[in-house]
Amino acid sequence: MSAARAGSRERILERVARAAAGRERTAHPGNLGTRVAADPVAWFVKVFTSQGGEVVEGEGTLSAGEWLTGFLRGLDNKVTGVAVGADVPAELRPQLPVVAAAHAGAGISVAWAAVAETGSLILPSTGTRAVQLLPPVHIVWVPEGRVFARLEEALWELRDELPSAIGLHSAPSKSADIGQTVVTGVHGPGRCIAVLA
Amino acid sequence: MRARIGEYTARATESIRSEPGVRESVTGATLAFDRKRRNAYADIDSDHWRHWAEAVKNHTLTHLDDYLTQAEERLEANGAHVHWAADAAEARDIVTTIADDGLVATAVKGKSMLTEEIDLNPALEAAGIEVLETDLGEYILQLLDEPPSHILGPAIHKSLQQVRDLFADRLGSAPDGDPDTLAQAARRVLRDAFIHAEMGITGGNFLVAETGTVALIENEGNIRLTTSLPRVHVALVGIEKLLPRMTDLAGFLQLTARAATGQPIGCFVSLIQGPASQPGDDGPEEVHVILVDNGRTDVLAHPHAWEALRCLRCGACLNACPVYRQTGGHAYGYVYSGPIGSVLDPGLLGLHEAMPLPFASSLCGACFDACPVRIPIPELLLEWRREAQEQGLTPWKERAALAGLASVATRPGLYRLAGRIGARLGGTGAARALPMLGEWARDRALPRPSRRTFRELWREGIE
Ligand code: SF4
Repeated sequence: MSAARAGSRERILERVARAAAGRERTAHPGNLGTRVAADPVAWFVKVFTSQGGEVVEGEGTLSAGEWLTGFLRGLDNKVTGVAVGADVPAELRPQLPVVAAAHAGAGISVAWAAVAETGSLILPSTGTRAVQLLPPVHIVWVPEGRVFARLEEALWELRDELPSAIGLHSAPSKSADIGQTVVTGVHGPGRCIAVLA
Repeated sequence: MRARIGEYTARATESIRSEPGVRESVTGATLAFDRKRRNAYADIDSDHWRHWAEAVKNHTLTHLDDYLTQAEERLEANGAHVHWAADAAEARDIVTTIADDGLVATAVKGKSMLTEEIDLNPALEAAGIEVLETDLGEYILQLLDEPPSHILGPAIHKSLQQVRDLFADRLGSAPDGDPDTLAQAARRVLRDAFIHAEMGITGGNFLVAETGTVALIENEGNIRLTTSLPRVHVALVGIEKLLPRMTDLAGFLQLTARAATGQPIGCFVSLIQGPASQPGDDGPEEVHVILVDNGRTDVLAHPHAWEALRCLRCGACLNACPVYRQTGGHAYGYVYSGPIGSVLDPGLLGLHEAMPLPFASSLCGACFDACPVRIPIPELLLEWRREAQEQGLTPWKERAALAGLASVATRPGLYRLAGRIGARLGGTGAARALPMLGEWARDRALPRPSRRTFRELWREGIE
């Protein structure tokens, strides 16, 4: 299936080994050890919103699904149809018609976790990638107690249970490629809303 | 990409003379990037981070054969196909064969300098495959049939008006559209391509050996779409992009974003281990990772230049460089421009091919201060100059002329003096009056010098 020439792999590896042969083989310096703030949730909210993300907290008296339905109806783009990730549990789904991601007013996902220092939502490929990317608004449930202070900790924990792909979403889709002016919603969602459960 | 570096002096002159808008756009964009980078460095212990990153990369590059084989093993265990390409032709053949086997009619692409380096698009088009660049800047350049001029902002040399005119002509958008409207016009075309393309092609910012993870950083979401919706994903990764561990990646994702755009992390990061193989897993059916050498082992073997392989392609050295700012990237004549291009291109292409780039610098050191992996660019430039002199590669007059340009670009006082004399003498008289510049400026117009030094402009935060 590959058009690679016979022996390229060996030749490259041999050249790499030869290039490094006379050079001191230096040690790995260990972990970077970035700083930590006391309250990861507050830290997450601060960093995520500073990059254009939005954070809301589900309200107590309603069920999560009912609350989300009301929230979606109140959005500017008046969501009528939603796309929902395959791994979103029934109780976190809104009571709105489900449509294909390309036509949905909002996509609903559930994060594996969030990270405070980078303001990131960690989205595994066991969700539905089109739901995370195609609708103009992306709403992401962050399960309780799942906010890591540092990215290093989150990736360390993920290491042994990696799905085929992970997306880190830390802001709405942005570009400054036209006249150096920032525009949002270029390819991916123009709004990214984290819901802290 | 065919290197046209030998024409640097002429192209730099031409750019300065006949495209004053380029200097304006590039200066505005790079000063803004650089200011954001400095703010983002100030938020962290940047010395500690940069020393750490340098050490991780040095460790990796001195154990590269081990990490390459570990990454290959992990990727294959994850169900990905791994290919090795010694040079550009082999890399192109591998991609076109994969496309052929997969009956691919349309491919969408994420921004990748490596695919520019190996001239991938023409090869795919020759094989009858429609290729669409999906990064907004790259899409603009594809419509114009121009190469990127900056690692990070490929179209920073284009003004809003130029994009307006282009999109009005090619996409039928309003001739006075604002950036939002223009972006929406591009989005409509590209959205359709994402949904219908059979193949997605990307580069790779990092490849983590212990997990076989290809990591990609971006802001638009086009790379996530490129790696998620098409049936086949092909990632072309330079062999120097390895990192040992996932925890290293945590530091490098943040440092790259801070150096490049001043963000804490890119808006979107894709971490790809392989195809969707488990039930309930969503994504491409096939993932191919092509490990590309194409001159990198020559750089690795060089006693000094190997340090340039730490490069993260963040663009911070371009943004900090007063010489790059005069012309933008096209004058350099190769995909890697600015300070990093001037030290990497001689290693990748051979010093002869890369002349006179090592001389196109004032050695002011701003690139080193910006570099997140502490590549000693000024020292490497001196080393290449020494080798060039040893090999008798440049006429001394051009060397002196380039040194003159670099030096006045860095010191506006001298530049202004040249400008004032020039105003009186007319045309390029001033430059001819300055002994170092005379050769370079014969028949050439010099750009208008800024009233303040670039360091003053930085301090004032003027974009
Ligand atoms: S040399 Fe350093 S600053 Fe320049 S692009 Fe590479 S990593 Fe960034």
